[in-house]
Amino acid sequence: MDDEYLTVSQINAYINRKLKMDVNLRNVYIRGEISNYKTYPSGHSYFTLKDEKSQIPAVMFKGRKHSLKFQPENGMKVIIKGKIEVYERDGKYQLYATTITEDGIGNLHIAFEQLKKKLKAEGLFDDAHKKEIPKYPKRIGVVTAQTGAAIRDIITTIKRRYPYCEVLVFSTLVQGEMAAGQIVRQIRHAQQYDIDTLIVGRGGGSIEDLWPFNEDAVAREIYACRIPIISAVGHEIDWTISDFVADKRAATPTAAAEIAVPETSEVKYKVSQLSQRINKSITDRLIQNRQKVENISQKQIFKNPESIYEIKQMHLDNLIGKLNFTSKSIISKNRNRLIKIESRHVLTNPEEVTKSKREIFLRNVDKLTILDPLLTLKRGYSIAKIDDKVISSAKDIKTGDELDIEFDDGTINTKVI
Amino acid sequence: MMEELSFEESLEKLEEIVNKLETGDVPLDDAIDEFTKAMELVKLCNTKLNNAEEAIAKIVQDNGEIENFDISE
Repeated sequence: MDDEYLTVSQINAYINRKLKMDVNLRNVYIRGEISNYKTYPSGHSYFTLKDEKSQIPAVMFKGRKHSLKFQPENGMKVIIKGKIEVYERDGKYQLYATTITEDGIGNLHIAFEQLKKKLKAEGLFDDAHKKEIPKYPKRIGVVTAQTGAAIRDIITTIKRRYPYCEVLVFSTLVQGEMAAGQIVRQIRHAQQYDIDTLIVGRGGGSIEDLWPFNEDAVAREIYACRIPIISAVGHEIDWTISDFVADKRAATPTAAAEIAVPETSEVKYKVSQLSQRINKSITDRLIQNRQKVENISQKQIFKNPESIYEIKQMHLDNLIGKLNFTSKSIISKNRNRLIKIESRHVLTNPEEVTKSKREIFLRNVDKLTILDPLLTLKRGYSIAKIDDKVISSAKDIKTGDELDIEFDDGTINTKVI
Repeated sequence: MMEELSFEESLEKLEEIVNKLETGDVPLDDAIDEFTKAMELVKLCNTKLNNAEEAIAKIVQDNGEIENFDISE
């Protein structure tokens, strides 16, 4: 009677036999994306094959691996040949892969690249839009899962570095279908509080786990948020769309906390530096001013005010001296000139001038005497004229011309025959 | 009035005054006033740094209620 009840093993074995009898399941070709790929020390690899809506656990035994032409990785889109059987111990059916071949780039990667390109073109990643992260925040908001390692890392780091800063947690799912909507809602919610900086993120995981941070809605909410946001998703190597849109990207949640708050010792040092600088500045200033006052009071003018007009007096004396000298020299120069003129020969011996002039006159009188035509006539010469014109050549006279012959003592009229 | 400044505001104001004084453009009388103000700010910053109580983490529920958040849970 007891045999009416099956054991768990029996039902699992039964289901397994049913599946094995199905020809289609003995030889399946499935297209999907690899995630959570893990190889155990046994050499067997376990992973999940998935599409947007569904997933199936899969295994590839060590003995089948020789057929692989590449190292399977999370996010790879692949085509798998294999069979479906039940893993009776766990009561789950799974895909036993015999071959795995690559099927282009995984859909999620394509979606990531497409969204990244689109948002970049829209300007959501522009540096100009990025807000400054406050240096000394009073309150940090964190949008992440309240149960995750990320929130612990963030709070621990903030308390260690800068314990005066309050942390407000806005809990959200960080993976799965519902996550993106919750993240958006909590970023919006956080803006109702007086928060200096908001950290949005989660710890590491597969690309599927991090996917909410690659959603268009989350990216746009981060962009629109008026509080500066530090994105902290996964590990160093994981880049999400949120990282590109956020005002600052942190490699890990701990790094985000380090960016969000300063180290107290550094702040104390800074205050003491400022204090020293201000002291030095004011001391220098006072010393400078005292020096200036001293320099001014040391000036000659204050010690010896007479010097103001003494110098002028000297200048005046100098001018007077110059004037005296100049006028005297002008007078004496002119006097000398006068003496020189007075002493000239002509003025001292005026009779010499008249004597020589008389001699010249007498010589000229002699010359004139020699040339006087009247004297020539006295010596027996005569002048022939026709109509008062002196005839000096025989050629000028024709027969019958009337000539006037002039003598020393009179004129006669004759006719040429 | 100074007491109402937050730490960040105090430090920013202090930095501003130091930078201003270091340029030497401030008339001496004003500089001395600024210096007095700056020394008060230094005191204020140090007081805040040394005496500030450790803030605690809190969680904001969807309904807006705020509770203490203990990470050792």
